[in-house]
Amino acid sequence: MSTSTATGSRRRRHGAVSPWAPYLFVAPFVVLFLLFLVAPIVVAFVNSLFSRQSSGLGFGGSSIEFVGLANFVRAFADRDFLVGFPRVLLYGAVQVPVMMTIAAFFALLFDTALVKARRFFQFTVFLPYAVPSVIAALLWGFLYQPSVSPVLQFFESIGITLSPLASTVVLWSIANVALWSLVGINMIILFSALQSVPREMYEAARIDGAGEVRTALQIKLPMIAPAVLLTTLSSIIGTLQLFNEPQVLQTITSNIPSDYTPNMAIYATSTLGKDPHLASAMAVILGLATLVVSLLVLAANKRTTNRAGHGL
Amino acid sequence: MLAGAVAVAGIAACSPEEGAGTSGEPVEIEFWGWVPGLEDLVAQWNEENPDVQVAFHRMTGDDGQKVEAAVDAGAGPDLVQLSTHNLPDYVIAERVQDITDYVADDESNYTPASWASVSFDGRVFGVPQGIGPAATMYRHDIFAEHGIEFPTTWTEYLDAARALQEADEDLYIANLSPSEMGQWLQEIQQAEGSWYGIADDAWTVGVDDEGSQLVAERWQTLLDEGLVTTEPMWTPEYWSLVNNGSIASITYAAWFPSILAENASGLAGQWSIAPMPTNEGSTNGGDSGGAAVVVLANAEQPAAAAEFASWLNGSDDTQEALITVGGLFPSTQNGLASPALLQENEFYGGQVINEVFIEAAENTPATWVEGPNFGFIQTTILDEFARVVNGDQTFAEALDVTQEAAVADLENRGLEVAAP
Repeated sequence: MSTSTATGSRRRRHGAVSPWAPYLFVAPFVVLFLLFLVAPIVVAFVNSLFSRQSSGLGFGGSSIEFVGLANFVRAFADRDFLVGFPRVLLYGAVQVPVMMTIAAFFALLFDTALVKARRFFQFTVFLPYAVPSVIAALLWGFLYQPSVSPVLQFFESIGITLSPLASTVVLWSIANVALWSLVGINMIILFSALQSVPREMYEAARIDGAGEVRTALQIKLPMIAPAVLLTTLSSIIGTLQLFNEPQVLQTITSNIPSDYTPNMAIYATSTLGKDPHLASAMAVILGLATLVVSLLVLAANKRTTNRAGHGL
Repeated sequence: MLAGAVAVAGIAACSPEEGAGTSGEPVEIEFWGWVPGLEDLVAQWNEENPDVQVAFHRMTGDDGQKVEAAVDAGAGPDLVQLSTHNLPDYVIAERVQDITDYVADDESNYTPASWASVSFDGRVFGVPQGIGPAATMYRHDIFAEHGIEFPTTWTEYLDAARALQEADEDLYIANLSPSEMGQWLQEIQQAEGSWYGIADDAWTVGVDDEGSQLVAERWQTLLDEGLVTTEPMWTPEYWSLVNNGSIASITYAAWFPSILAENASGLAGQWSIAPMPTNEGSTNGGDSGGAAVVVLANAEQPAAAAEFASWLNGSDDTQEALITVGGLFPSTQNGLASPALLQENEFYGGQVINEVFIEAAENTPATWVEGPNFGFIQTTILDEFARVVNGDQTFAEALDVTQEAAVADLENRGLEVAAP
């Protein structure tokens, strides 16, 4: 026993580590991951296989019964729920590229030596991110209502009538709120990635005769491709989870029904429709859809990077 | 030793059941509600009843939805204020306790309709807290300016709406809010319709019954002819239309006048209150529904909780405060007899506004039946109404869609549904 203690202390003295150390350090993550990600998914899936059943008038009480995949069948038969998917995909197909382009534009702009007061402008672009999305939607909600919006009143005074809450444009009014909130954080991530690109490369490019624009597009952007992929992927996942902005704007317009996005439909089903089991089935479907879309994006990205690699 | 401790704990848990004040520790009750001024009433109770101490939480936002999840998880407050429309769902899901034994003696103090709204299958599941008889608040200055009498029937109402539009194209007789259910319900009740009914131990669904279709036809005409605005209620845009004089009248429940006075304070003296217009050949009034205080499933002291709920809503001590501070229209006989009900209201030009609401309460038919899954029907019908306001379908079509969805949903819950 004494020998082993001695060995142990000697090993420690020599800076050697117990083989368990890495697991110890990872443990907090694993515990939280299991508790707050895996467990809820398992609970949701189990819930989706059951249903609260009463009989007669229902006043004799109720029981939770196993119904197999019946809730999934109901979810797939709910047209209004399904329509939410193409809606958020269309939203994402427009919102994500626009947002990423603007974020990349600002990141590249702030990375050039030409911009004065860079800190101030960076802060200005980033600031909206500090506003919670519910508050952002409330703020924009005011700007979208004709009788209280100074912006709409200004346009009205010069003869342009805008109605951002009309059924045809309300989706893009929601996109505008998200854009305003999220460009800043993506800009910061891309900008940080740019900081890690070795400065000698720019020098080499300049010697080769490349201007600021050419350097930006052909050197800087390809160098930060992993950061672009990361931000794009998280934006797409965020798109499918769209909830806060439409949920808040729903209170001021009749053009956003309670099942406008899949996430809103799940919320409405569980809280207003009082069917948490059906809502769990819908949540599992949304989770799977998100997984599929993420994998598709990753696969598409892998293919393009491979091709780019061969091209070089 | 362990067994002893459990036994002691058991006795301790049981003893207050005998009724408040037997011995020792005071009973603690947690109560959630939203009526203005409840804090003061709770403080008064706590002072007078040292053995039953109530902790009050003011409900805001989505607190009502939190309650359900909390109860299902075995937590939540002991007492909660609840719209009576939602009570059947709570009873079916066993989220509330049967308090018949504690409150049955109070029945005679409550209006028959309000007592019926908390009773199912001969058992009582709550103490009524206010009802919502409807009347019309209107801009008497605007009607006078255009030489129009305020209408007494819905037929005259349509004529008045057209006359107002003709006089001024920015003037609308009312706002038709696609997001507010109460205004629809009060007219359904007036037309003797009901979303639910019970026939031979099965539910019937009447979302598209005769009364509802009558109301649907009326609103369709008002909408088609452009006689009403269609802003969602409670939004800044809505209050802006009220304040700039675009909306000439608002028909809503007895708790609405104080909210209007608060949000349109600049228009004091320009509003009056008249009975809601009636249908041809009928003197019926309408009601958008009331609230109740219920004892939730996990309450360990149902007797003490029910005792407090009865005192809060039914005793002579509390009626005046509930009416004046709370803005409630009483569901109790002593409340209806309270002089506080007949105060002159300055915002309405010194009118004794509750006279109109008392008349409405007396004339509301008792045909409405509460039923399960009110929330589902409400969400569905409001989504459909939004499509009506956008011109994508008619009210009649919205009712048909909702009717079908409501029946399917009840059947999915295993409930018996009869053909209407």
